[in-house]
Amino acid sequence: MATGADQAVGMGLVGFSILLFTYYTIWVIILPFVDSDHVAHQYFLQREYSVILPGIAALILLLSVGTFIGVVTWKNRKPKKVD
Amino acid sequence: MTKLLEWVFGVSVIGAAWALVTFDLLNLRLPEAYKEVAWPMPVYLLVVFGCYSLATVGYRVATFNDCEEASKELQDQIKEAKEDLRRKGLKM
Repeated sequence: MATGADQAVGMGLVGFSILLFTYYTIWVIILPFVDSDHVAHQYFLQREYSVILPGIAALILLLSVGTFIGVVTWKNRKPKKVD
Repeated sequence: MTKLLEWVFGVSVIGAAWALVTFDLLNLRLPEAYKEVAWPMPVYLLVVFGCYSLATVGYRVATFNDCEEASKELQDQIKEAKEDLRRKGLKM
């Protein structure tokens, strides 16, 4: 078995994704069938945000990946050799 | 029928079903709750797929086995290779 930090990080990822899945599933699938005066609704934002927030997250992810590639490419540029 | 065509066909069928419910194209007059569930579906499926991928990666990181013997064998082989190259004149 992997030890120490590996296990902690791995299990942390698993736990985080389970939490995210549960919260998002309740938000998107369960809430529309719950009466609008139920107390559960105060723990969730308006429905529009359930699409906008993942959209923003995807945008940030794409920008980060692009920036990383750009920085690494810039650092590795070599001047043209003159033979 | 190529794989690409199969996928395109499948995605179009599912996309058409989703559009039918979300934009009420056939005037089916479904209960409002069903429409509320349907319209975020593409984003929802993407998020669920992302969560599944993250969980799989995390789980496999946590359960990856250390291979003590293979590690030792590799270290020995590295030492051997360095000796060999040093003898052949490569400066380390």
